[in-house]
Amino acid sequence: MFKEKWVKITAYIVATVFAILVIVPFLWVLTTALKTPAEISVWPPRFLPSRLTLENFSQILLKEDFVRYMLNSLVVSLGSMFCILLTSSLAGFIFAKYKFPLKSFLFALILFTAIIPIQVYMIPIFIMVFKAKMMNTYFAMIFPMTIMTFGVFFLRQNIMSIPDSLIEAARIDGANELWIYFRIVLSLSKSALMALGIFAFSEAWANFIWPLVVVTTKSMYTTELGLAVYQRQFYIEYGAISAGAVITIIPMIAVFMILRRNILQGVTTTGMKT
Amino acid sequence: MPEAIHQKNPSNTLAILYQKFKNNNGFWILAALGPVYFLFAAIRIYPILETIRISFYRYHITKKHNPFVGLRNYERLLGDDAFHTALINTIQFTVLAVVATLFLAFFIAILLRSIEHVAPIFEIIFYIPVVTPWVPASVIWKWLYDPMYGLINYVLYFFGIPKQGWLQEPNLIIYAIVIVAVWKMLGYYIIVFSVGLKNIPTTYLEAAEVDGATPLERLRFIILPMLKPIILFAVVMSTIQFFNIFAPVYVLTASAQGAPAYDLKVVVTEIYRNGFQYYRMGYAGAQSVVLLVFVMMMITLQFMAFRKGNE
Repeated sequence: MFKEKWVKITAYIVATVFAILVIVPFLWVLTTALKTPAEISVWPPRFLPSRLTLENFSQILLKEDFVRYMLNSLVVSLGSMFCILLTSSLAGFIFAKYKFPLKSFLFALILFTAIIPIQVYMIPIFIMVFKAKMMNTYFAMIFPMTIMTFGVFFLRQNIMSIPDSLIEAARIDGANELWIYFRIVLSLSKSALMALGIFAFSEAWANFIWPLVVVTTKSMYTTELGLAVYQRQFYIEYGAISAGAVITIIPMIAVFMILRRNILQGVTTTGMKT
Repeated sequence: MPEAIHQKNPSNTLAILYQKFKNNNGFWILAALGPVYFLFAAIRIYPILETIRISFYRYHITKKHNPFVGLRNYERLLGDDAFHTALINTIQFTVLAVVATLFLAFFIAILLRSIEHVAPIFEIIFYIPVVTPWVPASVIWKWLYDPMYGLINYVLYFFGIPKQGWLQEPNLIIYAIVIVAVWKMLGYYIIVFSVGLKNIPTTYLEAAEVDGATPLERLRFIILPMLKPIILFAVVMSTIQFFNIFAPVYVLTASAQGAPAYDLKVVVTEIYRNGFQYYRMGYAGAQSVVLLVFVMMMITLQFMAFRKGNE
């Protein structure tokens, strides 16, 4: 964009400085998680631990039962992801390939509510869950995350690019619509489904306010909730808290590193976060 | 003609309609879209409308009788100091965070275009905080902000500046949370702006360069005007997102267990406190409506600008 030498030099300096500022907090929390309590509270602080210890991790995973929390997070995130892939692909297919009355109105309604965050409308959903006596269940945790308005829009865009002639040919050969959905639409949208799946999974994994509201016992905590509650109660146990942060972050960063191309591609084509 | 015969008989008109419905895959459309739309109505449309409805009631979740109180909840909102503080804090936080995030993201995205061959590496690094959920991100920063052993105070001390109580000082905590928010979301908006920048035809820039335009002139007269739609998208998205801030505030502020920090109030912490700790759901509903109105205003702004751009 700019070929001037001073712009390039500025670019290198600024990008490097900010990259360091972005990375240092992660390294700091990682080394803290590997330090002994005595070494955490020394002044001036030491960056690298003189003796590595895994005690903080065993404290958080075994004594605090973070293994259970991670399992809960996994159940909720996979459940939400599966539901969102199913509902988004069905609705996306119908909106992309069929004509019916009120179609543009129904679709506009979905689009218009797409960026309203759950903070705005969580009270009635909470009342529903409470009245149904479903508090503190996986169902309650997944329920508001079974559809993603953005997902409908995203898959509709993708399915629209499947040629109509392909679908017509299948119909002439006697295929019904369900077969077309499974065999043509789903198999031709694999990369879109994958991108949406990653997005839905990490949205559910990172969700905090909804589990905070509907979960009432420790055995149903997600990792996010467990970590937030633990650090409020034991705010001086930095070693254990850091270990908790590390094990909550690592799955997310691992997924990102493996699939970074798909994820950044998703942002560039559709503007989706995470 | 079979059609002519059908027209005469009303039961046959129904039969035609039925046939038409069947030929247009009516059953399949109903079976596939029906349940999805029902779910959409149940967990999006109904809750939004119901939030508005209960804001006119004194609603307690365990009580049988929840009386209609008209605008009483909204009147109370006008006199509620805690909510006023929360609203002011939220607006202050949002303005600071949006301006800082977008300005930095734009600046870095432009600079990265001049070093395109290494840009992907930097983009991946900047994106790592984006995939880090808010709770662990805030936990990391709580430790960095620690008044006694935190890294930030160590850096200040290194430069001869006295230690600060970042999360204890009412004046500092809002900036502390702004820093977390910028750190967390910077990478996302760098990618968003990069998309827009890459779409600017290089011929425009080259022509301007041949005509002797300085880098700043090229930025002012070519890049900024062409990037307007993307900048608007970024402003709307980040404003909505930061206005609804909750997790970092929950983690970084004071708690019932007495974690040593200042109790910063924002709109969503007030909704949480009133709705889910005191079960004053009608009142929390009124507060949610304030949030809803704000979000709707932002969405309308986006739609209007989008339509104007398409004309």
